[in-house]
Amino acid sequence: MADESEQPMTRDEQIIRLSLDGRPAAFGALVERYWKMVVALALTRLADPAEAEDVAQESFLKAYRHLHTLRDPSRFAGWLSRITLQQCADSVRAGVRCKTAFGCKATPLDGLEAKPAEPANPGLTPSQIHFVRETVRRLPEKFRSLIVMRFVAGLSAVQIAEQLGKRPGTIRVRLHRAYKILRQDLAPLLEEVEP
Amino acid sequence: MTDCTKYKNFIEKYLDGIILEAELAELKAHAETCPPCRQELDRCAFMQNAVKQALQPSVPAEQAGTRLLEKLPVEPHRFARPVLLAGRRAAIAAGILFAAGMFIGLALDRAGGLRSAMSPVTAQVPIHVGEVQGTVLVRHEGSDFWSTLEGESKIYLGDTFHAAANSGCVLKLDGKSTLELSQNSMLVLKSYNGETQLYLDHGQLSAALESPHPPFFVSTPHGRVEALGTEFTVTVE
Repeated sequence: MADESEQPMTRDEQIIRLSLDGRPAAFGALVERYWKMVVALALTRLADPAEAEDVAQESFLKAYRHLHTLRDPSRFAGWLSRITLQQCADSVRAGVRCKTAFGCKATPLDGLEAKPAEPANPGLTPSQIHFVRETVRRLPEKFRSLIVMRFVAGLSAVQIAEQLGKRPGTIRVRLHRAYKILRQDLAPLLEEVEP
Repeated sequence: MTDCTKYKNFIEKYLDGIILEAELAELKAHAETCPPCRQELDRCAFMQNAVKQALQPSVPAEQAGTRLLEKLPVEPHRFARPVLLAGRRAAIAAGILFAAGMFIGLALDRAGGLRSAMSPVTAQVPIHVGEVQGTVLVRHEGSDFWSTLEGESKIYLGDTFHAAANSGCVLKLDGKSTLELSQNSMLVLKSYNGETQLYLDHGQLSAALESPHPPFFVSTPHGRVEALGTEFTVTVE
């Protein structure tokens, strides 16, 4: 489903069936397929990249444990994104609670500096990565997931609509509003990099 | 001057990931000779790549998959069984309670004691149920009974809506305006100066209002929010 150029062509439903038939290794294919999307979703809610990856891992574990409850396996990506957002909310709540608890590591939403660029980000400097992440985090809640599903997971507007059970027109309208905001807010960065 | 309307439409389709190969080839060929379209296309591609790069994980997907597999139990449905069994036991218990409740309810109803408690005591409001996902419960004002919200449910002033986990609903207001109640949320339709007021007790409420719209407010335990635009989301944690 995601990023068709890179991903195997086995459909999510087939992999889910194999996983439920007692072949957990099959689930690894889903992790590989949606890992980037899940981490990116978490990064739009959490400032600490390490925490975002922990949340991503927890989200996959939760998805695996509840795989039998998934009613429509063809909507796995949408279901997984909802699990991820719930895990993020839980993590933020736990962080807020921990702020006042002695010896507990707090994980504030916006106070953390972005970590140095990962090897996978050759095009942008660390400060530019930080800037882009902050820009995406400032997007209205319902636009953020759509942008991640579109740009990171490589799902088309129509596929996103299918995954989320919405009308394609609704998704396209929301995406275009998000593009407009992103274009405006990323303008300073564009000026930096444009010759 | 070239009319670029067609190519602007192609760029939109490119951004949405729904452009056809032939259209993309045509767009690229056009962009070679049209600086404004080329700049537009470059900027869209830049935005896409910048977001993609900035949200990259530090752990590659293959490695994450391998690590996660080590933590997975052998069969996910083995986890499911106790839950299902517990669910079955709970369902049987609920069935017995329901039957007992029905019996008592019928007896009380004959005596005229329950009908008044279950019927709404307030006026119906022009809100309709658009879509329900999962379990969304509604309780009328003055009643202690929760019922499942359905497409045909009538909505009354004072109703309280509770969307359970992995559930949600869409309520249609007059015209084309809609409200979307997310999971783990509670919304109350309160009366305020004779008008219906939305009170979000907890959770998340998204609204898509038609333009123009009259003053629109959402109250929360922390204050009252006025909608100035046509789309907004209120979250109460």
